[in-house]
Amino acid sequence: MAGNSDMKLVVDGKRLDGRAPEDLRPVRIETGVLHEADGSSYIEWGGNKILCGVYGPRECIPRFEASPYRALVKCRYMMSPFSSLEEHSRSGPSRRSNELSKVIREVFENVVIAEKFPNTQIDIYIDVLQAEGGTRTASITAAAVALANAGIPMRDMVSAVSAGKADEVLLLDLGKTEDNLGQSDMPIAFSRRKKDILLLQMDGLLTRDEISRMIDLTLKGEAELAKLQDETLFRFYSAPKHEEFRM
Amino acid sequence: MSDKMNDRKLVLPGEKIAEGKYRIPGAFVEGEKTYAAVIGILDAENRFIPLENKYIPMAEDVLVGVITDSRHAGYDVDLNLPNNGFIPSRDIRLTLELGDFVMCKVREVTETGDVDVGEVRRLPKGKLVSFPCAKVPRLVGRQSSMIDMIKERVGDIVVGKNGYVWISEKADIPLAMETIKIIEEEAHFPGLTDRISAFLNIQKKVE
Repeated sequence: MAGNSDMKLVVDGKRLDGRAPEDLRPVRIETGVLHEADGSSYIEWGGNKILCGVYGPRECIPRFEASPYRALVKCRYMMSPFSSLEEHSRSGPSRRSNELSKVIREVFENVVIAEKFPNTQIDIYIDVLQAEGGTRTASITAAAVALANAGIPMRDMVSAVSAGKADEVLLLDLGKTEDNLGQSDMPIAFSRRKKDILLLQMDGLLTRDEISRMIDLTLKGEAELAKLQDETLFRFYSAPKHEEFRM
Repeated sequence: MSDKMNDRKLVLPGEKIAEGKYRIPGAFVEGEKTYAAVIGILDAENRFIPLENKYIPMAEDVLVGVITDSRHAGYDVDLNLPNNGFIPSRDIRLTLELGDFVMCKVREVTETGDVDVGEVRRLPKGKLVSFPCAKVPRLVGRQSSMIDMIKERVGDIVVGKNGYVWISEKADIPLAMETIKIIEEEAHFPGLTDRISAFLNIQKKVE
């Protein structure tokens, strides 16, 4: 669907939902939402609603996959049948969800300190309850919080955001319509301290200059997301749960 | 609350906690600096206290476990680790049964993460609760002040470094579990031992 369309996506410097080109959609993150998981998080990012649970390090199954040198990071991204239009109306693995599971896994393989846990695996389960464009970036942002909540050692925190182009304007954080009808889409994941690029995909056409401008744009989005991740974890870990501890 | 959190800072994975190389649990060294690997608190004296951590077995640790399988050569024991531990029957004199609680000491950890345990003791009947292992030091307290107090007021209790806590059947199990739950949830707030002491006083009066 990418490419030309008669629909105007940017009018007078404003987008369809009233955002400026460099604005994120409203993002809300919660952590510690699942009781039985080692770590969990829930993110609402525009119309996206994503639940993430982390388990491990635990026994590696199947056994033959286990590495005596490191823990395996496994990721399963899944869209719920009710998350979007009919194209996702059957649950179970698909070409798309396999790809997303792989790219998200590779993001976290780069930051998790896996050498400490030989012969084990770390599972990241991501369930998209509602989708509105940019689920991979929202999933990565949420999964980083869930991993921190699980106490899995990491070299860095991660957050991700997309940038794109529609009507010749560079945009941060594409929504569903902008993604489908716009000219280009580029999700990107950064590590927080070193600003390593851990995920970079691109759809559509961009010039070199546009890409470097988009990286600057996404770095601004990353700073905002990092702040939100901080706030989420701070809220969870600094609020006493018992009456007699409140002051 | 905020005034007590002010001199303490919440640290996320990847944040710098010290200049220079230090071997701190829950941290890693890169270049000439030390960074947090897990979420934790940096207190007024710049000590790093992990809030979440995964147990990494080390020699001499005292663990609590449950027997999950008995075979001719020995017993499989669940030690709250990714893989079960094994107790060879030639190392111990007692006969264990499925579901028995044991207390043991780590003799050696192999390169692949398997633990070799010794000094196995069977624990009497009771209840096993799991406890986040990052907070085990808090449950034990400084010079075991916390756990001694609970032992005295509630009954016999054994805390394993692996996060398994055994409570004797003769103890007040519901009270012990509630106390443990409060410690788990409020582990990183100051003055916990006094508060738990006050909590136990109230509970005992109600009875």
